[in-house]
Amino acid sequence: MTIRRRLTIWYAVVLAISLLLISWATYEEFAEQSEHGHRAEAGENALDEVGEIIFRVGLPAVVLGMAGGWWLTRRALQPLAELTRAAKGIDERTLDRLLPRSGNGDELDELAGVLNAMQARLNDSFRQIREFTLHASHELKTPLTVMHGELETALRDNNLPPLERDRILSQLDELRRLSKIVDGLTLLTQADTGHVKLKMAPVRLDELTRDIHDDTVILAELAGVKVQLTACEELSVMGNAHRLRQLLLNLADNAVKYNEPGGSIAMSLRRSGETAEYAIANTGPGIAVDILPRVFDRFFRGDPAHGSEVEGCGLGLSIAQWIATAHGGTIQIESTPSRLTTVTLRLPALRPVTG
Amino acid sequence: MRVLVVEDEKKTASFIRKALQDEGFAVDACHNGNDALALADATPFDAIVLDIMLPGRDGLSVLRRLREAKNATPVLLLSARGEVDERVEGLNTGADDYLAKPFALVELVARVRALGRRGAGESKSTVLRVADLTLDTVTRQARRGRTTFELTAREYRLLEFLMRSAGRICGRMAILEKVWDYDFDPGSNLVDVYIKRLREKIDAGFEPKLFHTVRGVGYLMKAAP
Repeated sequence: MTIRRRLTIWYAVVLAISLLLISWATYEEFAEQSEHGHRAEAGENALDEVGEIIFRVGLPAVVLGMAGGWWLTRRALQPLAELTRAAKGIDERTLDRLLPRSGNGDELDELAGVLNAMQARLNDSFRQIREFTLHASHELKTPLTVMHGELETALRDNNLPPLERDRILSQLDELRRLSKIVDGLTLLTQADTGHVKLKMAPVRLDELTRDIHDDTVILAELAGVKVQLTACEELSVMGNAHRLRQLLLNLADNAVKYNEPGGSIAMSLRRSGETAEYAIANTGPGIAVDILPRVFDRFFRGDPAHGSEVEGCGLGLSIAQWIATAHGGTIQIESTPSRLTTVTLRLPALRPVTG
Repeated sequence: MRVLVVEDEKKTASFIRKALQDEGFAVDACHNGNDALALADATPFDAIVLDIMLPGRDGLSVLRRLREAKNATPVLLLSARGEVDERVEGLNTGADDYLAKPFALVELVARVRALGRRGAGESKSTVLRVADLTLDTVTRQARRGRTTFELTAREYRLLEFLMRSAGRICGRMAILEKVWDYDFDPGSNLVDVYIKRLREKIDAGFEPKLFHTVRGVGYLMKAAP
């Protein structure tokens, strides 16, 4: 039954009940009077009697009507509220979650059906795009392998003129970069399609931090940047050591790359309640406020004037963010241009072992 | 040493064959899983280079059949996916090493050579030596002539790895994997920076120079220039 028809019928019922009540009360009142035979007085008192009827029966009838109307509206809109709640919970990752249907064939049920169909089409397109990227990055690997192999084979020739050799080496460098992009893309699309399962085990984050700190010191030395480990509290997280190392190294690498000569980097690892908080701050040009929210976007590069000389694949932070999310954590960047840029990683910490 | 290359992509198969032949290996190549099994049954190989993605019977299934048939020939798996799970599955199935595409040829050659040597047994000596440089793997002491060197843990692992493969090119990926436990390219010039530090410690002021850069590929340690 459609909502319009249902509302009409219910409202007619409520009205009919009110009308019946009023009619019944009026009839009773007049019947009582004629029984007592006060016909003479009836004329003077008729108006009073009507007023009394309206007061005693009409008012409750109005109240009943309003309450009925309120109840009806609420009942009619209830599925709409549920629909809204269900629709709010859907994003590009949960497109396969359908809206609930009442199955009674009314307008809202029909709307839910139409929305579900639209969502299915969207889900299909998203899936197609993801699969396309996944296949594309797979397919690219074979020609890359062939090119790499053939260039290397060419390098083996000892009679190669130096100019030619340089040209091939430069092509190999570019191929390496291309391979990195394809690798990153494969990883991210596999993560999107849920193909990556991380094997989790307790990881000593303080040991990892020290390790990364040692590597960062060496990396920063060339760039004339000083590195400090300001705090390193003993703590563990449930995680995948490989991926966490990749994440920390990526952040450290950025802190070195986007720094300035004579600059500095400060790393710290602290426990804050149930959370492991790893922060790495670096001096340097920093990130403008308006592009800050976009730094995690795939292939996003900051200010071209600053970014162009820094080599990278444009996927590092996207991968870092994925790793953080896959560990139930968050990653956050704050930056004061030409002062300090701080990246904070928060992960759920394991309880310290007592005793 | 005789190597079987199983790779369906003709061009890839051809340059792998060429590179291995240049190193003095005898190479047989085939392009699908069933041929691979037939060949491996008929001929004793010293190593097999096996692509995972093959038409028909895939590489992992070939590997499983080989191991079921008690064929213990060392296998190097090639995969188009640099996927950790697949690597784990491959190694669990009985592969001896794993290389993700796109790979560097020197990397492949070095690993095949290492596989062939595995059967022969590695040198058990605890003191590694390249020219006048010695590295004691027990005391972790590096010494050249009368000079001893202070090495950090990472520098030690890098030096040990390079010295164990002395005379052969070590690719950057192999170094990252064996010394840093990375299975991804961290994108930074970590390896180059560490090699530079080792050079400053160990090569500066000494002759002959022991560290050599193979541009675009990796590094090698040897006494001769």
